Amino acid sequence: MSASHTKDSSFLGGRIPPEIDSMSKNLKDVDQELFRKILKAVVSALEGKDCREVMKSIAESSTIPQERLSHIVAGMYRVLSEAIRIPTSSLKQEAFREDLKELRIPEDFITDFASVVFGNRRAALDAATSRNDPHLPTLEDFKWRVDVAISTSSLARALQPSVLMQMKLSDGSFHRFEVPVSKFQELRYNVALILKEMNDLEKRNILKIQD
Amino acid sequence: MASFIKETQSIKEAVTFINAIDENKFSRLISRIIQKLHLKGERTFSEEEEEKLQAALSLNKQALSLVLETAAFILEQAVYHNVKPTSLQQQLEGVHLNPDKAEVFSQTWASSGPELVEKLKHNTFAPKKLEYVGWQLNLQMAQSSQARLKSPSAVLQLGLRNEDSEVQENVFVDFNHQELLDLYNKLEIVQGQLDSLT
Repeated sequence: MSASHTKDSSFLGGRIPPEIDSMSKNLKDVDQELFRKILKAVVSALEGKDCREVMKSIAESSTIPQERLSHIVAGMYRVLSEAIRIPTSSLKQEAFREDLKELRIPEDFITDFASVVFGNRRAALDAATSRNDPHLPTLEDFKWRVDVAISTSSLARALQPSVLMQMKLSDGSFHRFEVPVSKFQELRYNVALILKEMNDLEKRNILKIQD
Repeated sequence: MASFIKETQSIKEAVTFINAIDENKFSRLISRIIQKLHLKGERTFSEEEEEKLQAALSLNKQALSLVLETAAFILEQAVYHNVKPTSLQQQLEGVHLNPDKAEVFSQTWASSGPELVEKLKHNTFAPKKLEYVGWQLNLQMAQSSQARLKSPSAVLQLGLRNEDSEVQENVFVDFNHQELLDLYNKLEIVQGQLDSLT
């Protein structure tokens, strides 16, 4: 998108969240070293790590009163969490920086924010945050075996092939089951069918429209 | 083929009882037994039915028991060795079963036998069997941590049934495009193995 367009709204939406508003008012007393320390802690928190110890040491070693510090931390957390919600295909670095400039955030801090949102750790950050979202279990491990029953207690000559499958899912559950050959064909056919439908879906124009 | 029915004492006894049974009643009895033969651990006749049979066939409890067990044994052996109907008839006449009763066995075997063999071929020790495959293709638009997604995701529903229960357990698994492709490639390898068997 060209730089001369009229931006309709900030990536933060129509109304600026209150904690971001109060953060920008309080940032003028923060030096870059402190800012970076807090930024590091906030990124850790987004990744789901426990940051209480780090925050405690930051609070103790800084001259800024705790209440103002908490506004700053809350604001920074909000800026980042809103920014990483939007895929990088939709939110470009330029637009992001402009939005933050409008909030009167110092240029150096904007650069630091941008390095988190658009840097190479972004993918890891996305993976960490989406882990908490509700979803059905995914397949973590899939093992299989093809057997031929030569003989059984009921049949001297059975010669019946069958497939044994073992699935370990992301929720920790474990399933081992036999798949008769006819059911296996059905499974294979259906998986191929879903793949075809997925391909068709991805090709459709509506998915290519950028929003 | 070598006879698999040896004339033991209990066979002799059973034969005596069987020979005395009316042919029509006997025919229906054997048909019923062969229908239920593939179900392990299930009684062919309920207690009530057995009592009625005792009266109908003029047999006491032990005699009826012996007759039912022997008939089941003969049929199980027939299945195990996949015997020809004529051979079965000969073997039965060899242990002094009346020709009309031997014919009932071999005729029932000829008509219902192949189906029974097929059923037994599919009986396995695996605790669970895949019985149902269903799926749903979704387009995920957003989630708590991510907006504007538009990512296709498929949910595969696998209906598993335990051997000794009627209840089907449903397993739901979620796949994105790459994960589904990985699964498909693995299934192709399995198919290759199955193909190499024929």
